[in-house]
Amino acid sequence: MNIELQEHIVRTWVIRLSGRLDAFSVGRLREQQESLLEAGGKRFLVDLRGLEFLDSAGLAALVSLLKRARQLGGDVVLVAPTHEEARRILTLTRFDQVFRQVENPESYLNSL
Amino acid sequence: MMRIAFVTTYPPGKGTLNEYGFHFANHLRQKDEVSELYLLVDELPRGTTYPADEPAEDGRAALFYRPCWRFGSWRNAWRIQQAVANIKPDIVLFNLQFATFSERRVAAALGLLAPWLSRQNGTLSAVLLHNIMEKVDLHQAGFGGSALLESVTRLAGNFFTRMLLRADMVAVTIPRYVEILSEKYKADHVVLAPHGAFETIPQPSFNLPPGPLQIMTFGKFGTYKRVELLIQAYERLLQRVSHPLELVIAGSDSPNARGYLARVQAQYAHVEGIRYTGYVPEEDVPTLFQAAAVVVLPYTSTTGSSGVLHQAGSYGKAVVLPHLGDFTDLVLEEGYTGQFYMPDDPLSLADAIEKLLLDPGFREDCGRRNYLAAVGLPMSDVVDWYLLHFERLLNRSLAPDEVYQQAMVFK
Repeated sequence: MNIELQEHIVRTWVIRLSGRLDAFSVGRLREQQESLLEAGGKRFLVDLRGLEFLDSAGLAALVSLLKRARQLGGDVVLVAPTHEEARRILTLTRFDQVFRQVENPESYLNSL
Repeated sequence: MMRIAFVTTYPPGKGTLNEYGFHFANHLRQKDEVSELYLLVDELPRGTTYPADEPAEDGRAALFYRPCWRFGSWRNAWRIQQAVANIKPDIVLFNLQFATFSERRVAAALGLLAPWLSRQNGTLSAVLLHNIMEKVDLHQAGFGGSALLESVTRLAGNFFTRMLLRADMVAVTIPRYVEILSEKYKADHVVLAPHGAFETIPQPSFNLPPGPLQIMTFGKFGTYKRVELLIQAYERLLQRVSHPLELVIAGSDSPNARGYLARVQAQYAHVEGIRYTGYVPEEDVPTLFQAAAVVVLPYTSTTGSSGVLHQAGSYGKAVVLPHLGDFTDLVLEEGYTGQFYMPDDPLSLADAIEKLLLDPGFREDCGRRNYLAAVGLPMSDVVDWYLLHFERLLNRSLAPDEVYQQAMVFK
């Protein structure tokens, strides 16, 4: 799994994930998320288009970020995964109805 | 802040899912979003009582015990609905499997009307359904009978599944169950909510205590968890393995199979080195797992996710599991690993256990992997999933101006 980070305007962190996000790789993402929250981040755009696999442990990290961000008055917006194996868990858990999702991250960031 | 009613079995009650109910309630209480938690629990036998209610303190929500139903009674749905009407919670969550309310068909089925009744009376209702009728082996679940009777039971099961689906949300622990309920019943409010590990436990020791290597199984036995095959495999292992062994059968009878373990104990009285612990109090569970070299899940049919598997993972234990379609998929999807055996073959089970017993390095690798899988999704996180869905349901049920006011309060 690769994690690419980019700070955008109004302190929106763009987190691009690729590879597999599962029980064995999720620890790195959680650590990274914790650092960003401690640094004052509360708005996140998580780009899942490059993710090949997402399991419930991986999703739990994203949900945890969503909860923390909302508590701070922020939010987490997803760019939905394109790979079926990564999209499946979002659909089964109905978190596709909980997270706000955008198709085009660039226009979303420009709209902020 | 939410006021939540939770219909569940709960210790010291010994009904199925009591341990799940205990841990789930414990995590719910610790969430900032929850102000009051009402446990709508089953009435206990004379001489045992639930602990006293607890006020809100140290960041934990107030906890109230409301015994309001009885295992085996026909009146449970009505009584639960009455209790919910008195409490007026924001949402009521039901922790259910098909035999939660009785080992008899009619009483068990009538109890399953409780979520629908609560919703009819204006309370948002959510169901955590641990098994689904389409995957229940009726005979092993204690509802067996003639072919005709089983057909009638299945038809009735379909009807009561539809009634359960009248709840505002139905959560299941296995991905395949979401697909079955969504396709067969055209339900779009079924969500996957994985089991989760009960506790976040620091990295366990992978060393074993001195003495015989313990092969341990844990649960409520007699329906779909049966130990005959395990004992037969153990007899073979006693002949094959030179290291001293002990088989630990930890737990009690399923409420639907009273007297099962006593019969097994009598049947296999000649086999040396079997320890029957009886009911294991919560505080003794860590010692039980820590001492085990291998944890065996002797399931004969799929019954949803396995609490014992998640506990074994939390304690860094290697597991031996039956190769059962959905269950195998679930185990691998959740990141666990283990030695699989054919569910009706004692030789296959003996081989699977032996492989772990004789190779401490492999055993430890499996334990470490299971530990990572368990801590990857703690129950505390899963409870957050429920709360986010509850917020979504509550916002949906409010008038638009109320949602706006609530948003203003959050600011």
